[in-house]
Amino acid sequence: MIEVKGLTKFYKHIRAIEDVSFTVERGDIVGFLGPNGAGKTTTMKIITGFMPPDSGTAKVAGFDVFEQPMEVKKRIGYLPENPPLYNDMTVNDYLKFVASIKGVESKKINDEIERVSEKCAIKDVSKRLIAHLSKGYRQRVGIAQAILGNPEIVIFDEPTIGLDPNQVFEVRTLIKELAREKTVILSTHILPEVEMTCKKVIVIHRGHIVATEPIEDLLRRRKRINEVVIRVRRFSLELMKQIQEKFNVKINQPPQMEDGFNVIFENNEDKREEIAKFIVDGGFGLLELRPITLSLEDVFRELTTEEKAA
Amino acid sequence: MRNIWAIFKKEFKIYFDTPVAYVVFGIFSLITGYFFLQIFSYFQRQSLQFLQYQAPQMLEHMNLNDMVFRPLFLNINVFFLLMIPVITMRLIADEKRLKTYELLMTTPVSTWQIVMGKYLASLSVVLIMVLIVFIYPILLSFFGSEGGLSAGSIEWMPIITSGLGLFLAGAAFSALGIFASSLTESQIISAIVAFGLLLLFWVIGWASAGAEGVSKEVLRYLSLLEHLDQFTKGLIELKDLVYYFSVIFFGLFLTQQTVSSQRWR
Repeated sequence: MIEVKGLTKFYKHIRAIEDVSFTVERGDIVGFLGPNGAGKTTTMKIITGFMPPDSGTAKVAGFDVFEQPMEVKKRIGYLPENPPLYNDMTVNDYLKFVASIKGVESKKINDEIERVSEKCAIKDVSKRLIAHLSKGYRQRVGIAQAILGNPEIVIFDEPTIGLDPNQVFEVRTLIKELAREKTVILSTHILPEVEMTCKKVIVIHRGHIVATEPIEDLLRRRKRINEVVIRVRRFSLELMKQIQEKFNVKINQPPQMEDGFNVIFENNEDKREEIAKFIVDGGFGLLELRPITLSLEDVFRELTTEEKAA
Repeated sequence: MRNIWAIFKKEFKIYFDTPVAYVVFGIFSLITGYFFLQIFSYFQRQSLQFLQYQAPQMLEHMNLNDMVFRPLFLNINVFFLLMIPVITMRLIADEKRLKTYELLMTTPVSTWQIVMGKYLASLSVVLIMVLIVFIYPILLSFFGSEGGLSAGSIEWMPIITSGLGLFLAGAAFSALGIFASSLTESQIISAIVAFGLLLLFWVIGWASAGAEGVSKEVLRYLSLLEHLDQFTKGLIELKDLVYYFSVIFFGLFLTQQTVSSQRWR
């Protein structure tokens, strides 16, 4: 559905992206994951035809973004990082405007607005001025705008940025729902967002793609089984020493931790069961035993260093 | 066509849903009203003087068209130089600032359609301004004859051609204004650039005073304000029409190029 090959883009002398290639199949929900400034927005802008690359090609549904931009634009709904809203218009007028420039037939415009308003739960604000809407509503109007005209592909650039937790949840649920019938690209720097909504993930870091994999693989990377955190009710240095000697593992106590420590297994041996039993039998009061979860930055670091090793 | 209409409607609505149009019309009416009042009272004083001196041959030269409406339209033409940049300044600059530019550029609308829709919206405001000017001759035609002015009758033809000329001048100014708006995302810079361009195209004619022969004619022809003159005399000349339409085309062409340069820059 989307085929991107060797995209490179410089702003003046700063490289935004270099040699970015990936494909997205019809019906995929792809998370485009990367820290701020990694080149996500640049890539989205190129795919939507807003901006040309310095080199490389992007094809959407078989149409080259720069040879046949109109064909591409007909098929893509796009929510940029800042929802493109006119503050001086009412929600309804705005959606009417967008529907007509997207080429929705005049007769069907009202039905189409009805459909997306329902889906994005913005019917109650249809007569309000966009300038008076809360951030959450603005975002939802932005999403409504993107799915107007029923495009095959929908691209969201940082859709939950600046929203409160409830709104974040609503927007993610909405995106998940949309994903059932469309090809979706979701660009974000929030790992759990990708976990919640996507099936596949493309990780971009400093303008390079560092991984393209099913979400399960990324999750596995993220949960390192060979290092676990242990917290106990009755902590003592003695316990740490005992575990270290008995199980032949490395122990590491982070400075801020007062009632626990990290255990690192060597040779990929999983000794969680034994250790748990030991602590419980010893009456230390096991509170927690869980694999370490890497932060997004750690995942990036791992991915990028792996790349170098390869 | 539908896309142009959609963009036109949106721009038109924004003009009239925000105070912009009303402030423009208000100030415009105030200033043109003042112009009219001054010019007309001068006309009245002159007429009275000639009556006192019993100079009927002079009175024959006094007519409303030449003495009131010609100077009125020519003055408004200069005032347009100041007003039009205010009307056109937000057209494209504000889309860039609000990031709605991304919406326009990623929907299946061509750059020509964007530019035309917006341009036509600004023309509609210009048209209303020209119609406001028509209030003055209409007022005079009602009350002028009552005042016992011998020259109180108005010839409508030159006024209509003046209106047409003023509209074409406004259209030409707007085309340069929208071009200025496409260059920046700041409305203020857009207005200043537009004002500078218009002023430059005006004062270029001044150089003709010192020039000779062909260059004199060329410089005069280039001046934005030279071309209304014939219209105010009731004459529609091809060279003036060609001039206005060339400026309009030139301005819109540059605008379209600037907007689409986004796609290959």
